[in-house]
This record gives sequence, structure tokens and C-alpha cells, in this order.
Amino acid sequence: MNDDHDLDLAVRLLAGTPTHEGRDPALLGQWARTASEFGRRMTVRHQTVRVVERDGGLEAGLFARYRSRPPVVEVYADTVARAERLVAERGWRHWFPEGSVRAAALAHEQAHAWLHHAPVRAEFKRALGHTALRLGRRRLYAYVAGADEIAAHAYAQTACGLGRSPLLLTEALAAAVSFESEN
Amino acid sequence: MGVVILLVMAVGVAAMLTRKLPTAFALVLLAVVIAFLAGAPLTGKESVLDTVLQEGASALAATMIAILLGSWLGKLLEETGIAGTLVRKIVEFGGDRPVFVALGVLAVSALVGTVTGSAPAAMLAGLIGIPAMIAVGIPKVTAAGTVLMGIAVGVPFELPVWQFFSTALDLPIGTVRGFMVKLFPFALVAAVAYVLVESRRRGVEHTWPLKAARTRPSRADRRRRLGDAPWYALLTPAVPLVLALGLDVAIIPSLLGGVLYALVTTTRPREMNRRLLRTLYGGFEVAAPPIALFVAIGILLAAVKLPGAVDALQPLVKAVSPQNTVLFILVFTLLVPLCLFRGPLNVFGLGAGIAGVLVATGIYPAVAVLGMTASYNQVFGVSDPTSTQTVWSAQYAGVSPHQVMVRTLPYVWAVAFGGLCVTAFTEL
Repeated sequence: MNDDHDLDLAVRLLAGTPTHEGRDPALLGQWARTASEFGRRMTVRHQTVRVVERDGGLEAGLFARYRSRPPVVEVYADTVARAERLVAERGWRHWFPEGSVRAAALAHEQAHAWLHHAPVRAEFKRALGHTALRLGRRRLYAYVAGADEIAAHAYAQTACGLGRSPLLLTEALAAAVSFESEN
Repeated sequence: MGVVILLVMAVGVAAMLTRKLPTAFALVLLAVVIAFLAGAPLTGKESVLDTVLQEGASALAATMIAILLGSWLGKLLEETGIAGTLVRKIVEFGGDRPVFVALGVLAVSALVGTVTGSAPAAMLAGLIGIPAMIAVGIPKVTAAGTVLMGIAVGVPFELPVWQFFSTALDLPIGTVRGFMVKLFPFALVAAVAYVLVESRRRGVEHTWPLKAARTRPSRADRRRRLGDAPWYALLTPAVPLVLALGLDVAIIPSLLGGVLYALVTTTRPREMNRRLLRTLYGGFEVAAPPIALFVAIGILLAAVKLPGAVDALQPLVKAVSPQNTVLFILVFTLLVPLCLFRGPLNVFGLGAGIAGVLVATGIYPAVAVLGMTASYNQVFGVSDPTSTQTVWSAQYAGVSPHQVMVRTLPYVWAVAFGGLCVTAFTEL
């Protein structure tokens, strides 16, 4: 049941990603499932990346950001703190243990950095199986926008031992912040 | 009297800069005041009512029609999914190489820029292109700048712009085309350099955004959505260009050729009438702001060309206008920032009036003024944080127009320098 809801969130993320306007929900579901599986199976070789804590994430609408030049992960402390409070309010501590939101944010961004490696990219595209061009028996696999986001969330869930996808937290916190700003 | 006219122009610029008056209204007001200062009678020959307002308002009519047709074609590109399909294909082919996607969106923006300009052009390429670039890891400022630099690559081949320069400066279309062909390589090299250099400097960027997922996709959505446009329809933006540039067809029939090609390659015969009318009316909506501006520019041009205004301004303008080739390049390159923030060298503002003065007083040949204004247009179209396409692209990407200006200005300044060099060495 929970897995179905997580998958549904992933499908909705894909549906909201540009280039997928109006795509068949079944196809989006297939891609979301494959991307999640790929993310869960990923063995990320950790690189030395500077981690910086920042404020202003709630205003900018960000949990974390990865930049490749120079390699740095910015974790937005105010968003993480608000997310931890939300987990406590909703009684989700068994899914998201204390301190797991920050860890998930770091893991998410490390997964993005890993997905930029050419062999990993190629394997990911093959796994998704979306064809851009076919010439006889040769196939050129297409990039699926948004799939790397789902893989990064799945990796963070597995690496941090979370009971649910961080997408659930994203959805709930976005709704809470939007409600607070409107009232 | 020349000094008074220049002071009035400065007041006009201040009114535009401080947004006390919309540009079009400010230009008309300026024109009327300049005409009176130049000693024009109220009615009759070379008068305020008959010459400046009546003849001036319709002086750029051909440009207005070209703008309308470009907007119509832009609406068709949007409604038939041609622009969206181009971007989608680029992302699918090269999404895992962010630079490739940025170069692809740059190319699509350039194609769109040949058809239509301003915010509608940015929207055509950017609505899918900007979020798609951000999704593959292009930083937001780079993404917004890529669409603008791409449109600027297309601008030298934007047929309504040819028509504008041809009418405003009284030059044959062939002369305008000749200069634009020389300006194009500078715009192209700067735009490609922007994507390559900025991608290398800034790398990629990924975020975990605090964003609620959209509602569940449904099959009804799919039925409502238009499918991918067929591959041969994707050639639409090139059709007017091939007709005007390759086959020497006049501008309005070239644009109509593009409209017809888009229609027959994407639309079933029984739906053609409805689609043509719907997109034409949509085109009117898109074209309204630039057409209002061109009415005002026509009026201002008529005012500064009045004999009284020419006589008053000639000695002053001649005294400050560099005649030496190197000085010409140096001075006008340094003045580039004056076309930003609706400044006095903005071609679609008071800059048109100044160009009119330079031509009417015979200080520079019309073709040199074309080179100068076309070079400034390359800057204004990308970096001016008050121009609609820059504001739209920046805000849609989630950054400020000023960030985009700072990042793109060095590149477009170089384009203006290139254009001014060509002008000085070939036309002075």
C-alpha cells in the first residue's frame, strides 16, 4: 500500500516534468518503477564533496542543492528543521528517524552527482528502455527527464533506511508551507 | 533650439526610465513637443497634426503587418506543438549531456527568433526549454540566458526586423539583409560561446525542490493534448527564411508561406479554417504591444525628420558624432549600456528617434546607422532587464532579470563591438 503511494508520487513527479505533458500514465508508471529500482540498486562511490549548511531554503523552496563546479552540496537547515518538525507532528518518526532528513538530502545530492558519470548514465538509459531512434537492430536510448530525480530519491531512501520515499516528505512539507503562507 | 530638443529628449528618457509613462506614450508626447519646438504649424505641410501624427502613425505599417504575421506564425508553432516537439526531441536525444541540451534549445530559440520576437519568442522556446534545461542540470541563470542568446542569433534573420529597419531608415531590403548576414556570425559565435563557457564555469546543478507533485495524470489529459508534430512540420521556422533569404521573396509573402506550411503539415483540412482564425486572433493579442510601439516610433521619426528639427539638431549632433573609424567603434561600443533600461539608444524607443536624426541630418550614411542600431538591438534583445523577453525568461527560470543581464552582457557587448567594426570598416 505504502509502496503504491510512493510509486504514485513518483508518477506524478514525472507527469509534472517538462517533455512528459500528456504522456500515457502507464508508461510513466513503468519508468517510475524502473527508476526507483535503479536508484535502490545503485552503489554510489562517494566523492569528496564540500557540504555547506544554509538558511533560506523555505523561501527558495529547496531542501538541498548540488553544484558540480566546484563540487558542493548545500543543505538548507531551515527546510530540514521544518521537515523534522513535520515528521514529529504527523507521527512519521518510524519512517523518518531523527536526523534522517539531513542524511537523505545529502544522499539525494550524492546520487545526482553519481548519475552524471557516463557509464552510469548509459546503464540508466538502457534500464528505462525509452527509444529515441532505431536503425535496424541498433537502438539509441532516449533520456527520460525527471527519472534521475526518482532514482536519487530511491537511493536516499535505501541508503538512509527510510520507511517511505522522501517524495512523501516533499509533498507533505510543500503542502504545509503553502498552507502556512496562505494563512 | 537644438539644445532644448535634446533636453526634452532627456526628460522623455527619464520618464521612461522611471516608468512614469509607458514607452509608446512617452514617444508620442516627445514627438509632439519636438514638432512644436521645431516650429511646425498645427496643420498643413510639415505640420504636427498632418505630418507627425497622421503620416507618422502609419509610416511603419509594413513592419506592423510583418509583426502581426510573425506573431500569427508563432501562435501556430505553439498550437500545433511544433516548438514543443523540437525541444522534447532535443531533451530525449541529449538529456544526459546538459551542454548538448542547452545547445539544442539555443538552436530552437534561434529558429523561433527568426519568426517572432519579444516575450512570445521567449515563451515559444522557453516554456518547455527552460524547465527542461533546469531538469537536466543547467543552472537557472544559464538556462534563461540560453533562450535569450538563442533568440538573438535568430534576430538578424527576423523578417519583421528587416522590414522595420528598411522602412525606418529608408533602405532597400537587400541592403538590410546584406548587413544582417554580416552580423549573424558574431551573434552565433557569442551565443555558442555563452553556452560552452557558462556550462564549463558553472557546471551542473541539481536540487531537491520543495514542490508538490502535480495531480495524477489521466487518459483524458492525453486526449486533450496535441501529439508530436510530424518531422517535416518541424521545418516550419525555416520556410520564411528560405523564401526571403534564398529565393528573394518579399517579407510578407514569405511569412504567409510559413503560416501555410505550418497549417498544411499539421492540420486536417476540415479543421484548417478554425485553426487559422483562432491563431490569427491570438496573433493580434501577441502583436498588440509591439504594434503600439511601432505606431509611436513612426510618429517620433516623422517629428525628428521635420526640416525645423533637422536644422536645429544638425550642428549639435555633428559636433559630438565621431567621424574617424576607430573613434566611431570606440565611442559607440562604450555607449552600449545606454540601450539598456529603456535608455536613449534603445532601438525600440528613443534610439529610433536618434537614428532618424543621424540619417535626416546626413551625419552618417543610412547604412552606417543601420549597422549601429542593429548592433545595439543585439544587446537590448538579450540583456535589457526591462525588455519583456528578458523579464519573462528570468522570472520563468526563477532568477532575477538583473542576474541574467550581468551574465549575458559581456557576450552581447562583444557582438555589438563586432557589428560596429563591420559598420565602421565597410560603411563609413
